Amino acid sequence: MPRNLNLTRADRIGYVVGGIALIVWALRRPSWSRSLAAGVGSWFLYQAYTGTNPMFKPLGIRVNREPARPELAETLVVEEAITISRPRAEVYAYFARPEHLPALADADIDVARNVADEELAWRGFRGERLAHFGSLTFRDAPGGRGTIVAAHLEYAPSGGSLGAALARVMGRAPQRLMGDGLRRARAILETGEAPSTRGQPSGRR
Amino acid sequence: MRALCWHDRLDVRVETVPEPKLINPRDAIVRVTSSAICGSDLHLYGGFVPGMVKGDILGHEFMGEVVELGAGVQNLRVGDRVVVPFPIACGNCFFCRRGLFSLCENSNPNAGMAEKLWGYSPCGIYGYSHLLGGYAGGQAEYVRVPYADVGPLIVPKDLPDEQALFLSDILPTGYMAAENCAIERGDTIAVWGCGPVGLLAIACAQLLGAERVIAIDRFPERLRLAGLKLGAETIDYTEANVLEALKELTGGRGPDACIDAVGMEAHAYHSIAHAYDRVKQAMMLETDRPVALREAIMACRNGGTISVAGVYGGWIDKFPAGALMNRSLTIRTGQTHVHRYLRPLLERITSGEVDPSFVITHRLSLDEAPGAYRMFRDKQDECIKVVLTP
Repeated sequence: MPRNLNLTRADRIGYVVGGIALIVWALRRPSWSRSLAAGVGSWFLYQAYTGTNPMFKPLGIRVNREPARPELAETLVVEEAITISRPRAEVYAYFARPEHLPALADADIDVARNVADEELAWRGFRGERLAHFGSLTFRDAPGGRGTIVAAHLEYAPSGGSLGAALARVMGRAPQRLMGDGLRRARAILETGEAPSTRGQPSGRR
Repeated sequence: MRALCWHDRLDVRVETVPEPKLINPRDAIVRVTSSAICGSDLHLYGGFVPGMVKGDILGHEFMGEVVELGAGVQNLRVGDRVVVPFPIACGNCFFCRRGLFSLCENSNPNAGMAEKLWGYSPCGIYGYSHLLGGYAGGQAEYVRVPYADVGPLIVPKDLPDEQALFLSDILPTGYMAAENCAIERGDTIAVWGCGPVGLLAIACAQLLGAERVIAIDRFPERLRLAGLKLGAETIDYTEANVLEALKELTGGRGPDACIDAVGMEAHAYHSIAHAYDRVKQAMMLETDRPVALREAIMACRNGGTISVAGVYGGWIDKFPAGALMNRSLTIRTGQTHVHRYLRPLLERITSGEVDPSFVITHRLSLDEAPGAYRMFRDKQDECIKVVLTP
């Protein structure tokens, strides 16, 4: 298995089905144009075999086949870090309130680990089902530049890594939500308010 | 209130929109008394900047009177006359505390969008696309000013709007362009583009001790201002080969520093280069036409500095990396850190050292703004700078 495997099981099944369908369609009435479809189908099968889509690396899609929580068979991994120009204790205290965690929406949060000024870890449930888990670790930035918050999040992808890639392209991926959440926290901690244009005038009707 | 709204490429309209309200505690509402159309507004007008949405209110050069203050603003009073810097900056973050206000980390609520395009996000800017925050601009009767305890500068009562207005952008921008040249005694500075920023860069380069300034443009009225008003030597690039002319004028060595006050919509005369860039830009194979930047790099003396004040948005090609590297050139650039220049430049204005109002050619009402954009874009009626009053 290659180390940079980034297709989930669901994706690979989809690739096999889609690849075979394209090849069968091409073989039933062979033509030059349909041979192109057969080529694409073969490429799908090859990706299913290697478990790797080369486009996902630039998109930042990372699959974890053996997540720390065995309830989730496969997860997609999101990692973001931010430097906040405030003391560690203050930054920790802000995130220690569960509503301030950069967790994914529509999940009930259960704080699993809480080490003052060091680490916060949580699990997000949808009903009984574990939907994601994440952690924040806090350390001093060098040279008295405040606090570095490193966020790690793993979630069960609906739609596999292909769905995640699509979400990423559309700007609605957990990466973006995580980044926005951390930036919002920095703005509140550093300036006392979150930047916003909500409710400002425009010529839109 | 009345406000100038962007609708589409080459389509801006003055419309009646709701008045702005305070959103955050550090906000102020300013009743605009004067605003200006910036050369960089023409990039929005021409549809060269991504992230514009139908109905966006334009304008990042404005001043006026404080009419409402959030609870977090202690240093201003209702009734104060203020000029507002175009970069929106919090004053608290890593960059603001180092004086790099246009790199404020907290003011752009759409930083994630900008990161995709540019790697990291700069500050938010009034009326300058949703990439830079989507903030409503000041070509309107009223405008909301975030972080009002950091940005606005109180203007002395006896100083007319026309002398103070350009502290919002073009005077500090011209100044920073000249400052980035690290001018030493005997230096010759070449300036591409004699629009308002180029003209003020010439004036500031002289203020900072440049021995000679050489101005490059093609419009006679602009070259006239650079030559007759400011005493710069001038090159009309439609008549001369700029590289050869500069070489000759500088004793075969090249200007010590070059200022690009043109940016992404440069023109090159009858040249294959212009057609090449125009076609690539139209086909979206490159976003910007870097004719002036390329020429500034090629013209600069060995070990010299290229100071880029013109606005670029995306990608360029045929970038002369070989000249840059082999000849030890330095490029300095950035959106202007306006906040740090406000007080020193206000002093230079009140003491009479600089009067930036010489660039104004048209004084119009806000309702005339759509026509003014067209006139400014097409350089009709010798238009150099338009000031609007609501």
